[in-house]
Amino acid sequence: MLQPEVRCVEFVDEVTVWMEGGLTDDQRLLLEEHLSICPHCTRYLDQLRATLALLHDADKGLSESPSPSARDELMAVFREMRRD
Amino acid sequence: MSASYLDELGDDDAIVARLRDGDDKAFAALIDRYHATMLRLARGYVATKEAAEDVVQETWLGVIRGIDGFESRASLKTWIFRILVNRATTRGERESRTRPFSSLAAEVDEPTVDPNRFIDSGRWQGFWSVPPTRHVIPEQHVLASEASDRVLRAVDALPPNQQVVITLRDIQGLSAADVCDLLSISEANQRVLLHRARSKVRAVLEVYLDDRAVKS
Repeated sequence: MLQPEVRCVEFVDEVTVWMEGGLTDDQRLLLEEHLSICPHCTRYLDQLRATLALLHDADKGLSESPSPSARDELMAVFREMRRD
Repeated sequence: MSASYLDELGDDDAIVARLRDGDDKAFAALIDRYHATMLRLARGYVATKEAAEDVVQETWLGVIRGIDGFESRASLKTWIFRILVNRATTRGERESRTRPFSSLAAEVDEPTVDPNRFIDSGRWQGFWSVPPTRHVIPEQHVLASEASDRVLRAVDALPPNQQVVITLRDIQGLSAADVCDLLSISEANQRVLLHRARSKVRAVLEVYLDDRAVKS
């Protein structure tokens, strides 16, 4: 097997810059070439993407609220300020 | 009071108009939507939960006072987070805590993946020796709340600066440019923090997927 120019350890180091669109065209092509022949790094990327999908809005369901007294204060100030 | 009232109202302009009109239902819904996130962000700057609660309370008061001056150049949530970061920074300085973003240059380089998982010598040095296991990654709704819970806890365990960046970028979906601007950090620093944070959270998901495969 011909050795790819980018090693796995480099792929995992550069993957964020790649996803952020921060690589030069040459770097990007080398990284994508590695990805196309390396099933392990493909799995790594799949897991990374699954992580991002899970993170998206992950805190939306958290129902932390101000304490009742803090909330009352906020609502009172809001009504006071907006009345004018 | 439900945060979905915000969805009914629609875009930021509509929500801001309601707030300016004194619609307290809109304000309560805004609190419900962002309070938990704001507390988590504030924890990156101050020492205690109580201090974080104070910071968030001050932020909400700032939102009430400032809403007339809001200009829709930024999104409403970015604007709220900016007030939060300012208050939290001030409070953190009063507590003489190190600012979470002041010490980046001094940080040691962290490996993205445990170096033991790569071949360490010879022709194949730097290629996987212990690659990620092949899992069919379940659809997100199947992974659902348990996995979501795990990754969120992994975020909580990150160093504060990484936690703040990944929360703003990947949980809240802010752009890289907005995050750099909000935190006064360079594009390169933002990327380093995001990279480290994502790498660690992925590792936690990998362990979760491995455990899950063993159990089933």
